[in-house]
Amino acid sequence: MEKLSPQQVAILHKHLLQNGSTDVLVDELVDHLACEVEYYIWIGLPFDSALNTVLDQANVTAVRHLRDTYQVELAMTPEQINQASLDDIVFEFRNKAYGAYALRQSYRLTLRNAFIMAVGLCMMLMAMMDLLSRKTWSYFSPWGAVWLIGLCGVTFATASWYMERIRQQELSMR
Amino acid sequence: MDTSGSEFLRGTLKTIVLKLLAEQKPPNRGRMYGYEITQAVKERTNGDIVLTFGALYPVLHKLEQEGLLITETEEAEGRLRKYYSLTPQGDETAMQKISDFERFMENMRLLMQSPISLNPGH
Repeated sequence: MEKLSPQQVAILHKHLLQNGSTDVLVDELVDHLACEVEYYIWIGLPFDSALNTVLDQANVTAVRHLRDTYQVELAMTPEQINQASLDDIVFEFRNKAYGAYALRQSYRLTLRNAFIMAVGLCMMLMAMMDLLSRKTWSYFSPWGAVWLIGLCGVTFATASWYMERIRQQELSMR
Repeated sequence: MDTSGSEFLRGTLKTIVLKLLAEQKPPNRGRMYGYEITQAVKERTNGDIVLTFGALYPVLHKLEQEGLLITETEEAEGRLRKYYSLTPQGDETAMQKISDFERFMENMRLLMQSPISLNPGH
């Protein structure tokens, strides 16, 4: 059976988005419609009329109806809403795999790491400027302590960021 | 099928999907994708029952949410294809639903029988 080219699949994708398909369903619907178009081509229709037949069936009414049914059928139950975070509610029926959901989920951690790293680097810079102006250095002076604390902060933030990255990669592999 | 047909279908869609997936044996790794399910239904009923995507996908996702199905997504010919298969819990529910539905059909058959055979003296 002849397969659709990526450009032809893209037409279907665009059509679905224009007709208001839900994010979570769009990839699956593209595959579904593509299979239908391929079937019509296989029974002998040229691509254009095959496409039009399928798009005619998947018109605004059908796609909207699907979206509405879907949102009623799969709405969160009251207990789920109580447990859900704001992110879960905002991203209900949306494609979480695009990346925005993950970014929002790790936002607090990223902010904390960035803050510690900025303060740490600043402390190290201040200690270094002190070294340059006085030309003597001791770890047991106040500026030495500032340097060490800054270094610890930066190390901690880097390690924490790295661990989080590894964890995310493991999650996405699954 | 006319409107009453789709009305009957709405209540039995879950059973149909579970039954079809329960029949899938290891050579297919027990999984099907959405379009495949609609085609299987169409073939078996000689085109009498045609599932629309609008009816099918909410049911599939609902069953997945309930933990009866698991999905695997694979890239095929430049597009993503999502395969559904039964979880162990889904297997049990499928068996249950199928036997429930058989009993229901039996009862419907009794109800549809001509009442003359029940009280011949009338």
